Amino acid sequence: MAELLGFFEQAVLLAIVRLGEGAYGRAILNEVQERMERDVAAGAVHATLVRLERKSLITSTLGPGTPVRGGRARRFYRLQPKGLRVLNDARAAVDNLWHGLKWPLKGYA
Amino acid sequence: MSANATPPGWAEVLLRAFLTPGDSESVSGDLLEQYRESVRPARGRRRADIWYVTQALGFVWRNARLWAALFAVAFIARTALDWLVPPADFHARATVSTVLGAGIVLLAGFWTASRSGSLAAGPVIGVATAVLAAPMEVMGALTLLAGWHDPITMAAIRGSGGLEEVLALPVLMVLPGLVLGTIGGSLGAAVKRLRSA
Repeated sequence: MAELLGFFEQAVLLAIVRLGEGAYGRAILNEVQERMERDVAAGAVHATLVRLERKSLITSTLGPGTPVRGGRARRFYRLQPKGLRVLNDARAAVDNLWHGLKWPLKGYA
Repeated sequence: MSANATPPGWAEVLLRAFLTPGDSESVSGDLLEQYRESVRPARGRRRADIWYVTQALGFVWRNARLWAALFAVAFIARTALDWLVPPADFHARATVSTVLGAGIVLLAGFWTASRSGSLAAGPVIGVATAVLAAPMEVMGALTLLAGWHDPITMAAIRGSGGLEEVLALPVLMVLPGLVLGTIGGSLGAAVKRLRSA
């Protein structure tokens, strides 16, 4: 059975996919906020990144800091093959659920 | 001007108390970058500081909520036992529940500080555990009261110290939370340093 991904986990993984080489904490936070169209707590994104890394769906490496960060390092994230597979499974599962239905739904309620 | 702006220092101490050394630099750097480049220019100093503090408190909440829930469950279980199965002598039960509650807060302090290595972790998690548990404990006690308020139970409540004690104790736990969290945190931070040495 495919590993289940939560909605927020998918949002974070897709942000990493979209950002590519530039996927570090703050960029991921902003990307997730933009896609979800709401404020998101940095702690929620951080906890999700830690969980995804523990599940071996992503890996991270430290990169150099910048003056605006007070010289503090950036942690960059990369999708792993398992992460890619799980994301594809998640999309396929949603597609299966919607198969044969015209979107947006009309006339069912 | 925002490029050198600094968020409240105490909030950064709070934040770092809950981060492993590996994440401490990167996460605090992310928040500082967001604060300087996005939030402060858009919202001004006061609201940007509030934003930063809220983010730091989010880390406290995420780390303390499980300990608070455990602490509250222990408190509510003890209350339920006292009300529904009152003993002749409360001494043994009080000893067990006190040790259990103290153990939870000590462990919370130890666990948190042994991950972050921060001496601030213990007192912060101790206070946060007690503060977050308090409303759960009061709600739990009131729920018990709503379900069981027959004359026998009401007599048992009076015999166990009264309703006032059950409702006041959660608030009074903040100071012991601070002390026990500090002790556990000091031990945890020491263990972290020994491991790193």
